[in-house]
Amino acid sequence: MPGSSSKSGGRGPSSSPLPHAVVPSSRPLRPSRYVPVSAAAFFLVGSTTLFFCFTCPWLSERFSVAIPVYNGIIFLFVLANFCMATFMDPGIFPRAEEDEDKEDDFRAPLYKTVEIRGIQVRMKWCSTCRFYRPPRCSHCSVCDNCVEDFDHHCPWVNNCIGRRNYRYFFLFLLSLTAHIMAVFGFGLLFILYHRQNIDRLHAIVTLAVMCVAGLFFIPVAGLTGFHIVLVARGRTTNEQVSRMGGVTDVNALCRYLGRKKCAQSVSLQPPFLRPQLTEAQLAAKILDNGIQGDLRCCAHCVCFSFHPPECSLLNKAPPTPTMYKYRPTYSPGKNHTALTHAYANQASQQPGFRSQPSLDRRETSSERVGGGGGGERREVGREGGGGGGIPGYSLGGRSYPSFSDPTVLSGVASRSSSSTHTSAGTVHVSEATTTSASFKSLANQTPPPHHPSRNGSLSYDSLLAGGDEFDKGVGVSSAAPDVSGGRPCTPAAGGGYSSPFLSSQQREAEMQSQSTQSPHHHHRSSHHHHPFLHHSSSSTSSSPPPPPERERLLGEPHLPAAPAGQTSAPPPPHHHHHHHHHHHHSHHHHHHSSSSSSTSRPPRFAAPHAGPHHAYPYRTRSTDTPLGSSSTTHPPRSPHPPPLGKSLSYSSAAAAEMQYRLVRKASASAGANAAGVGGGGGGGMGGGGIQVPKDELMQMKSLSRINGGQPFSSTSTSSCSAPSSPCHPVNTAAPPRAACPSPALMLSPAHKPQGSGVKKVTGVGGTTYEISV
Amino acid sequence: MRQQAAITAKVFIQRDYSSGTMCQFQTKFPSELENRIDKQQFEETVRALNNMYAEAEKLGSQSYIEGCLACLTAYTVFLCMETHYEKVLKKIAKYIQEQNDKIYAPRGLLLTDPIERGLRVVEITIFEDRSLTR
Repeated sequence: MPGSSSKSGGRGPSSSPLPHAVVPSSRPLRPSRYVPVSAAAFFLVGSTTLFFCFTCPWLSERFSVAIPVYNGIIFLFVLANFCMATFMDPGIFPRAEEDEDKEDDFRAPLYKTVEIRGIQVRMKWCSTCRFYRPPRCSHCSVCDNCVEDFDHHCPWVNNCIGRRNYRYFFLFLLSLTAHIMAVFGFGLLFILYHRQNIDRLHAIVTLAVMCVAGLFFIPVAGLTGFHIVLVARGRTTNEQVSRMGGVTDVNALCRYLGRKKCAQSVSLQPPFLRPQLTEAQLAAKILDNGIQGDLRCCAHCVCFSFHPPECSLLNKAPPTPTMYKYRPTYSPGKNHTALTHAYANQASQQPGFRSQPSLDRRETSSERVGGGGGGERREVGREGGGGGGIPGYSLGGRSYPSFSDPTVLSGVASRSSSSTHTSAGTVHVSEATTTSASFKSLANQTPPPHHPSRNGSLSYDSLLAGGDEFDKGVGVSSAAPDVSGGRPCTPAAGGGYSSPFLSSQQREAEMQSQSTQSPHHHHRSSHHHHPFLHHSSSSTSSSPPPPPERERLLGEPHLPAAPAGQTSAPPPPHHHHHHHHHHHHSHHHHHHSSSSSSTSRPPRFAAPHAGPHHAYPYRTRSTDTPLGSSSTTHPPRSPHPPPLGKSLSYSSAAAAEMQYRLVRKASASAGANAAGVGGGGGGGMGGGGIQVPKDELMQMKSLSRINGGQPFSSTSTSSCSAPSSPCHPVNTAAPPRAACPSPALMLSPAHKPQGSGVKKVTGVGGTTYEISV
Repeated sequence: MRQQAAITAKVFIQRDYSSGTMCQFQTKFPSELENRIDKQQFEETVRALNNMYAEAEKLGSQSYIEGCLACLTAYTVFLCMETHYEKVLKKIAKYIQEQNDKIYAPRGLLLTDPIERGLRVVEITIFEDRSLTR
């Protein structure tokens, strides 16, 4: 069968439609993954063979030869679709290359809103794949890939079902239902005619085959019916279970081409042609104050090989810190009670999920719903939850007594500068664990840690500061170029090649924000001026010694490697945090346009990078934690039941349905936008055994944990990130504006606390960014 | 093939979702390219790409027949035949190659086929222009 292996472990082979930029070759072999698919294949082929051998001969003689022919055709159909569903690439997005997100790494918000035909849709940042997930895309933790139009991960075919292979999966279900019915029916016919000599071998075998067929018929038919409903509604399973589906376009299902890597055959030799500059452009350049030139000079020139860099090492995204291990005051709400059994399921099944939580899935699907009114709330809640996880770190203005300790700092620095994300993540987790208790109170009152300027002014300051530097060159008055990175760029010369873009964005931001908090702003801007160049400088000021804190707080790539005071870091450590966060967030603010209400917490955390020597700063944005750490740290999360009772497997439709109803009730009672999250998933799910990544469950769990009685609770689950990644406590999910009390924010999903200073900036192509003021 | 020039920067043209989830790219001219290439030229390239992707995703009788035929032959027809979408993707690849050769490479730019990035972005690599002193 033509098709590409969905499990291609390396560079996309020729049959892979979308070449993988990176597939971690170190993925551990998990034989347990192959058990369901082997069992399915065994039962299918075995039972049908027995049917053909024992039942069909007599039937063809007695009735007609058309019977085995008919059965044969249907069986062929089943096999063909089964193979295609198993081996066809579902639409995996290749990992984004390093340079694609370099400019955003710490400064971009976790969510980016785009307008699709007038509907605001939020795109979440995927920390593993390092891009903003397109609409309807979701990250599968089992496969560790973002999949386009993600439906679900089917264990029976051991493959994700996505845009490219959904048709095969659907046809497989249909044909399998028909096949089972035919086998059962003809077997029954055989038995009815052999009642007298039922103890013959043929009859016994036929009875056995009938039993198998009858056993599988109910779940398969249920799943088929469910997917018929989904197709009728134009939704994916992911969207259906995580929320009410919302507004989705019915995509044209296109098959992607199997791509071969083609070598570049273009030669590039300087000198290059340049367009003639018009007078206006020259004037603009002069007015530019040399920013463009300066930035270019300062830019880091990274030499890449001509071929698109596809080094797996480079593309490996740092695992997100387990930030949300410790939420402040988690009070299990009533909506958790009924879901314990689902939780138990989840707990018992710890499949070795990779890093990425299915948060993204939730997120993407949640985006769909009405522009994310409810979904955003959820997201936000989650974000807040995540931030609150390590309250101490993020609080820009707060003092972090424990973190100022030089030993801690150095310790953190050394840790950070070490190796892999996983280790860092693990460290974070441990750190977080030990220090969580002390930050509970802080977390409660503070906004998400990644917003250094809880008082909105700081974020504005940073925005303004960055803008000030470039405001001279306001020649470019176009709307914020949402473009280059698709994300706000740091104003500073951090990303070399992004500098021109940055400057224009800066100007934009500056134009947008009229408030002036110059002191902070300047300070920050200067500080940020060399985010990439001077890791050390920032590191000093960044006090957060514990890795999680550090990660969360700083968008800076540098870690507090050396406590030594650095150039631009005269202010106390926490202040430094402010800068980083501000810088991080200010950009967001500037570049965000008001989209849906709840998406007011733009930037998540800027995770300080594991060390200046890394090619790019650690992206703090996502709240996902490395799977490694998560898996090891799973126990901490276990005590909390999954929030919305999203069951890991859909085998028990009734249980899921019940959960769903409970969740709905809980959410309804909470007054939140119960988007029929998790619970909904269970409903209607046949016995297909759709495997919901456990991280989703964890997310829900953690979210519910955090939310407690929060209105988000029902909705937040979906937005929760991976199991290990803590979700922002809802109460700390407030946007970076310190002035805005988080509970107030959360209470009104639809309410946009514009007053508290959420600015929405529309970028090109309908992309909007929310900037908290 | 080793590049002869050093990469200065990369610009990413994001998807344009204003008219739905069809594969369209933003035609806004990025500021990094301001002094490297004409705005008109760039927009023309992106518009041509958009048109081609729209053509690829068009659901017409050909795609319908291809689907039915594939179904009936248990998908073995894919071994022999290329679908309409694949044909257009090949056309796009050729177009990008041609644009690179004629227009972008002389200016120190390089377009990367968006299919390499999962149709998420059009990546334009800006090469260092050593002839200019900055």
